[in-house]
Amino acid sequence: MYSLKQKRNYYTQRQILGIVFIIPTVVFLLVFVAYPVLYNIFLSFTDARLLKQNFSFVAFDNYKKLFTNPRFFKYVKNTLVWTFSSVVGQLTLGFAFALLINKKSAGTGLRSFLLIPYVVPAVAIALVTKWVMNGDYGIVSWWLNRMNIIEYRQSPLALPGSAMATLIIVNVWRSYPFPMLIYWATLKSIDIELYEAAHVDGANAFQTFVHITLPHVKDATIVLAILRIVWTATYFDLIWFITGGGPAGSTTHLPIMIYQASFGTFQLGYASSISMVLGLSLFVCVAFYVKKSVANER
Amino acid sequence: MMKKLFVLAVLLLVVGTLVFANGTKEATSQKAPDKIVIWTNLTADAQTVVLKKQFTEVAQEMGIDFEMVTVSFGDMYTKLATAVESGEVPDIMHTNFAGSAYLYSQDMLTSVDDVIDGLGRDDFISSYLHVLNAGGKTWGLPDWALHTSVWYRKDLFAKYGISIPKNWAEFKAAAEKLCIDENGDGNIDIYGFPVPLNAVQVAPQTYYEFLYSAGVTTVDPKTGAYTFGSQKAKAVEVMDYIMDLYHTVSPKSSLEWAWNEYRNALVEGTVAMTLDMGAVILMAQNNNPEMLENIGCFDLPGQYGNKPASFGSGYAFVASNDGDAAKIALKKEFLTKLYTPERAAERALSRPMFAFPSIYSGLAIYRQDPKVSLFQDQIDSITNAFENNNWYWYGMENGLSQLSSQIEATTFFGESLQSVALGMESSKDAVDYIDQQLQEQIALIK
Repeated sequence: MYSLKQKRNYYTQRQILGIVFIIPTVVFLLVFVAYPVLYNIFLSFTDARLLKQNFSFVAFDNYKKLFTNPRFFKYVKNTLVWTFSSVVGQLTLGFAFALLINKKSAGTGLRSFLLIPYVVPAVAIALVTKWVMNGDYGIVSWWLNRMNIIEYRQSPLALPGSAMATLIIVNVWRSYPFPMLIYWATLKSIDIELYEAAHVDGANAFQTFVHITLPHVKDATIVLAILRIVWTATYFDLIWFITGGGPAGSTTHLPIMIYQASFGTFQLGYASSISMVLGLSLFVCVAFYVKKSVANER
Repeated sequence: MMKKLFVLAVLLLVVGTLVFANGTKEATSQKAPDKIVIWTNLTADAQTVVLKKQFTEVAQEMGIDFEMVTVSFGDMYTKLATAVESGEVPDIMHTNFAGSAYLYSQDMLTSVDDVIDGLGRDDFISSYLHVLNAGGKTWGLPDWALHTSVWYRKDLFAKYGISIPKNWAEFKAAAEKLCIDENGDGNIDIYGFPVPLNAVQVAPQTYYEFLYSAGVTTVDPKTGAYTFGSQKAKAVEVMDYIMDLYHTVSPKSSLEWAWNEYRNALVEGTVAMTLDMGAVILMAQNNNPEMLENIGCFDLPGQYGNKPASFGSGYAFVASNDGDAAKIALKKEFLTKLYTPERAAERALSRPMFAFPSIYSGLAIYRQDPKVSLFQDQIDSITNAFENNNWYWYGMENGLSQLSSQIEATTFFGESLQSVALGMESSKDAVDYIDQQLQEQIALIK
């Protein structure tokens, strides 16, 4: 028989061991997540600049400057258009391809082929996009001109509406494989007997899709939407390489604004305030989805 | 007992190792040659090979070590900012004028007037020195510089009886005449002059060449006082002229053109003229050699004939003020040895475009090289332009200024120019916004 003291020692040792095991994770989170976030919050209330070593507290000056910047709301709108159009496109296309590759007739070749966009570097995509959209020799521009959609020797990248549309299309093309894989994994987890039972009950393909498939991919959709919104809203390189935020700022979104404030004008404090606004907006968005998904589970 | 002896032996071993290691380090540091760390923003093979060769030669002559680090232009500000923050700036930095200005603003540089005087101040092209001047001192050794010119199709000028324009009115008339529908299908096959307005760097470079041609500067070249605000009416006039060119003689897609697009357009024969710093020559050599003999250049004329200044770019060597007097002397000796006429010419020739050495003695050797010997007329035209006009880099009309890198790394110029071109904003509103942004940047520097 173990004495009470021995039992206590055993549990204490287990507790200590548990703490030891989580220390690396806690340290990692503190150093690489908590500290940068807290430091960013702190910087957003200062006039910190890369040009000088010292900085002072300026309260809400950076935020006042941001919200009185006439171009800020235009960039917010661009961020919203870019993010939501891209995410809807990625999820829709990803789901459609997941349904396709979930069929028994779909081979490994097709599945691998559909994954290609995900492994192409953003720089390569940007260069090819600029090439095919070139007003002088770009094949897409030439087609669009032949269809009387754009002027002769015009480029879709030189027009505000079509530049953003081009970026969204390219981003959807590049990013759909991730939702496709998640949806495919989800579809494979649906019990086949459900479909068989529905078939016996006389349900047609559309009814089966609406009443069996869609409810089963709902949770995956919520998770994907959260992830893709966060990733897309903060995605920088594709826009920067293809349009640089132009023409006329029509594709400038908040990450480009943050980059320019940080490494264009070296205003770290101001850049921090923009990233705080972006971060908080994303946090609200994520919290909303998480809350809704938890409520649904209940 | 054995355990204690073992612990004692280990302790002795550790202490002994530490002492020995320390002694070795001291002995090594006494014998090790001095080392110089050099950063360069040049990453192209042709250039880094030449730089490394020259650094090796100089290091051997001086009996020292060196370490060369290539930092791509895209990473330059980020790396410099990080280096400045950590206090680990390189001994020597080979960077553009804006990068030099950044390091100067951080109080990281040592003046090099003694090096320049030692080499012979008169041998340096004065406008190159001016751009690296601040507070009466010179903070960098200009290496080579690029000059904006109008590169044009000589054959088309001859065919349509056009002479070199002497003012803006003539320039526009020439560009209009050179909008050519070759096959009669109603579409223009060759445009007179593209107005490249890519927001990242290109648009401000285009605008500034015209601003300088009309006498508008960001700051007063003599006093450094902000002048753009008092010249806004003229800046609007310049912008209107550029927009007129854009709408009448330029392909519409040039709104998002960067360097490659407009150079390629001239080389492939879809435009008759373009502003450029000479890279069209290399592009023609590589992609369309037949076009080479048809390409010439002239200086963009002043608005009414007399051109007050031109826009240009370039690279410099700067030395950090880090280290004691001996270390700084070592850096300066290293720099001095890099400035033989042969080495200066060799570095300029390694640049894949018309980069001109900063010293006249180097320029003489440069001209004889087979790579540029075919283009003596163009070299004459460019040297004539920069010897007879002032020559500035945006925001640095009065010498080194942090403002230049802020113009370069932001897009407020490009965004404004594109907005006007698309009819989303008036020239006046765009110039007001640029003025407001410039003043804000200047306030930040202070």
